[in-house]
Amino acid sequence: MLFFSFFKTLTNQTVTIELKNDIRIRGTLKSVDQYLNIKLDDVDVLDLDKYPHLSSVKNMFIRGSVVRYVVLPRSEVDVGLLEDATRREAANQAGKAR
Amino acid sequence: MSFFGFNTTLPRDRAPPGDQRGIFDAPDPFAEVARAQAAGLQADDDDVIDFEDTYDGLGDQLDEDQDEFNDDTFGGGGDTGGVGRDFDFFGKTAQVADVIGEEQIRYGLQKPQGSVIPPAAETAATLAAVEAAAAQKPKRSGYEKYEDPGYIPDLQAKSSVWSAHKKTEPSFQAPSLAKKMMSLEEVEAQMRQHPTAPPPGLSQPPVSLPQPMPDLSHFQQPLQPPLPEGFPHLPPEFVQAQLAKGIPPSQLLPPPPMVPEHFPMPGHAPNIPLHLLQNAHLPPQAMTPPQRQAMPPRAQRPYPQQQPQQQQQPQQQPQPPVIPQGPRAQANQMPMVTNPQQLMHLNEEQRIAYLMEDARRAKRNHKIFLLSKGNGLMTPQDKNFITRIQLQQLVAAAGNVADFDSEAVLSEDFYYQVYSQIRGAPRQHPHQPLGHFAQTYLLQTGNRLGGHGSRRHGNSADNHMQRMQQQVQRAVEAAKQKPKNKQLIIEGSLGKISFGNAKAPKPMLNIKRPDSSEGAKTTKKAHADLSLSDRKSILANIEGVYSALMELEDMERTMPPPPDENDPEAIQQHMEWRQKVRALNQKLWQKLKVMEPIVPNTNHPHPFIAFLSCPKGKKAIPRIFRQIDQEQRVTILTMIVVNLDTLDVVRRAQLMPGETQLSLAVREAIELFSQAVMPSLLGYVNEAPFNIIIGLLGLVIAQTHVEMVAKTRIGLGILTMLLSRAEIVKEAGQATERDWQQWVEKFNVLFDTLEPIFPDLFPHSINAGDDMYVWQFLAAVGIGASPEQQQRLVIAVKDRVMETVTYSKTLPADMASQRLGNVNLFMRAIGLDVELLG
Repeated sequence: MLFFSFFKTLTNQTVTIELKNDIRIRGTLKSVDQYLNIKLDDVDVLDLDKYPHLSSVKNMFIRGSVVRYVVLPRSEVDVGLLEDATRREAANQAGKAR
Repeated sequence: MSFFGFNTTLPRDRAPPGDQRGIFDAPDPFAEVARAQAAGLQADDDDVIDFEDTYDGLGDQLDEDQDEFNDDTFGGGGDTGGVGRDFDFFGKTAQVADVIGEEQIRYGLQKPQGSVIPPAAETAATLAAVEAAAAQKPKRSGYEKYEDPGYIPDLQAKSSVWSAHKKTEPSFQAPSLAKKMMSLEEVEAQMRQHPTAPPPGLSQPPVSLPQPMPDLSHFQQPLQPPLPEGFPHLPPEFVQAQLAKGIPPSQLLPPPPMVPEHFPMPGHAPNIPLHLLQNAHLPPQAMTPPQRQAMPPRAQRPYPQQQPQQQQQPQQQPQPPVIPQGPRAQANQMPMVTNPQQLMHLNEEQRIAYLMEDARRAKRNHKIFLLSKGNGLMTPQDKNFITRIQLQQLVAAAGNVADFDSEAVLSEDFYYQVYSQIRGAPRQHPHQPLGHFAQTYLLQTGNRLGGHGSRRHGNSADNHMQRMQQQVQRAVEAAKQKPKNKQLIIEGSLGKISFGNAKAPKPMLNIKRPDSSEGAKTTKKAHADLSLSDRKSILANIEGVYSALMELEDMERTMPPPPDENDPEAIQQHMEWRQKVRALNQKLWQKLKVMEPIVPNTNHPHPFIAFLSCPKGKKAIPRIFRQIDQEQRVTILTMIVVNLDTLDVVRRAQLMPGETQLSLAVREAIELFSQAVMPSLLGYVNEAPFNIIIGLLGLVIAQTHVEMVAKTRIGLGILTMLLSRAEIVKEAGQATERDWQQWVEKFNVLFDTLEPIFPDLFPHSINAGDDMYVWQFLAAVGIGASPEQQQRLVIAVKDRVMETVTYSKTLPADMASQRLGNVNLFMRAIGLDVELLG
């Protein structure tokens, strides 16, 4: 749940999402679910000339499994906290596996 | 009251006091349903849908008699007699509406505005309001799905052109229209407008909120609009019950012999359209058969005798001559369908409106007929059963989440929770108990199912869903208490249903870990012990420190309130807590490895110094300092001071010949050290007793290469720290004569050691910029120095002072003043000023 928890804090931030088919989309992250499906608003497709069919798309729902990268706004990430959250997650996982 | 020999054992005696039925008024089954429903809300007695027959027994663990809170939930006391036809269900419910509203807001389960008349309108109920309330009913009939989408607006447009009702109809159809036609975008836009709108409270009941889920938007909450008091001649349940079935008013018209004149005309309601009044007094037999069949057994049961005759009518009404034709065609054939006698009393516009209604009814009937083929394939019980299985799965799944306390939330959702606390993000549901959580979820489900059911069940569906919801709530309670269950066995289901949720997915494979992994761990550990200072073990050490640190910080959260002296239990609790903290503190201390023996002349730095050489380790220091006591702090400080020249930020900060600048990595490390570690050290040093300062200075001189240390920013910083603290102690007069003597001795040694390299303390080139820390150090030295020493100091750094003053003249004003300010820091310490230099 770490990633879910993490992405939840990024709602209403502008992120750039690179899909596995190389399309890069910048938009406002509206919501994320546990599968890391992503809802984007005010969408802006980078390299739009390559994907003209997306030129009129204003918002979209992206299935989590097709996402390759999410480019985050750095100022919105609390690295120390994220590290601790990661440690907790790891501890939880270790606890479950045992 | 028992017309037609009805079963009088039913809650008939609760009929409203002012019973004003006309002679054509057969008792209305739906009125009974409505009344029984209202009553049933207060007393859970008429359990028509018998959960006990099919329920798997979860509820048996529960107290079935928990009806005492029903009043709280639904309002009103136990005065069933007082619940008349004008029972203000809405108003009563509105008293708890804020609770519901809260939940709904949280999940954005909102509905379009204006679907319900606010309670305030109740007193001012006008005739139009009566009409509106009545005419609104068809909108929630559930038939909408049968219509093609354009149908309703289409009709409306026509009626606004022709109809006599044009002044009323748009007024009541517009809101419901808006409710139905809201596109997803509109709904979302609405949500965005008030994203964190507070619970609407009493004045704005949740029902009337915009609903974001379009597929639910046709459903209305089981609440009913207030029944206007101004018009008692229309028994409200009656009208509602009939209209709620989607029966167009005109369809309810009596057969030809019924002439309007024969109706007892309510004197003070002259404006009401004739057919509306007639509807109200219509015997239920006039209802169309499919609708009748679609009634749930609950509604039918009170009138068993009636059913046969009603169901004999079926095929006649649904296939009037007009079936396949649209409203227009229908309108042209008006004489065929209508009652001429009645039409004569209507003016042209009314007639047209009436015919329109008729056409609509015919069309509807036809569709219903076409769709009725599948009717009865599943009994309501079947549907209930399936619904319940689904709901139980849901509850059982939620049961795993049942430990939804803050602990679980924190462990599962740590980042989000803490981040929102830190950044003040909108608190969504951090510590919201599961009750609410599951409730909301189930409410949503209930709405959907209810909306679905209302097509057939009308009012009774609402009641049914409420019951279902209560049942599920109990089940949720039970599931909470039950230990985590990995599978669900429902009576009647084929085999076990195992399920997973997002946190604990259904295991596909169940591999048991061999115990040998334990052995592997021990060997690994032994290996780690063998080489204390390889990078991997350093990192492992750091992680160990962090985990101990996090445990400690967790303990902080669970600190019991300060014990009350008279409460032994609280004291006990506190003691236990303190003991735990102490144990954790020891664990942390051990992991820090500060107390590892210092091995002289080895290549490996001390484990704690290695710890500090990692950025992660540096970052941990402020957190560690918060958790440890003064003694431990001084130990750490001593350890750092003793190993000052092996500290990475000192060791690697030496400029090699030919280098003008340190590498980026080193500069970053220094920056981090001075931001993370130095403030903690300074914080301690500023409170440290004088003898410790003396001791530390002695250690620097004795244990480290002072020249080397002094050439680095961090080393100089620590020296500055010690020197300035000594000066403060002296100024405050806290130093004893003997201590001071000791200090001066040490200081003199330091001064003598450093005197030759004072000019070399500065970073090489004068335009490198950041030499402030050197001036600070020199100032600290200057303050503590004797006049003779001050002179030597000035001579040593004179060149640099002059250079800087000259150089600053070439700089922009603000930078120049900054540089001069640095120099002045030193100059003032020895009683001079750059101004004097011209």
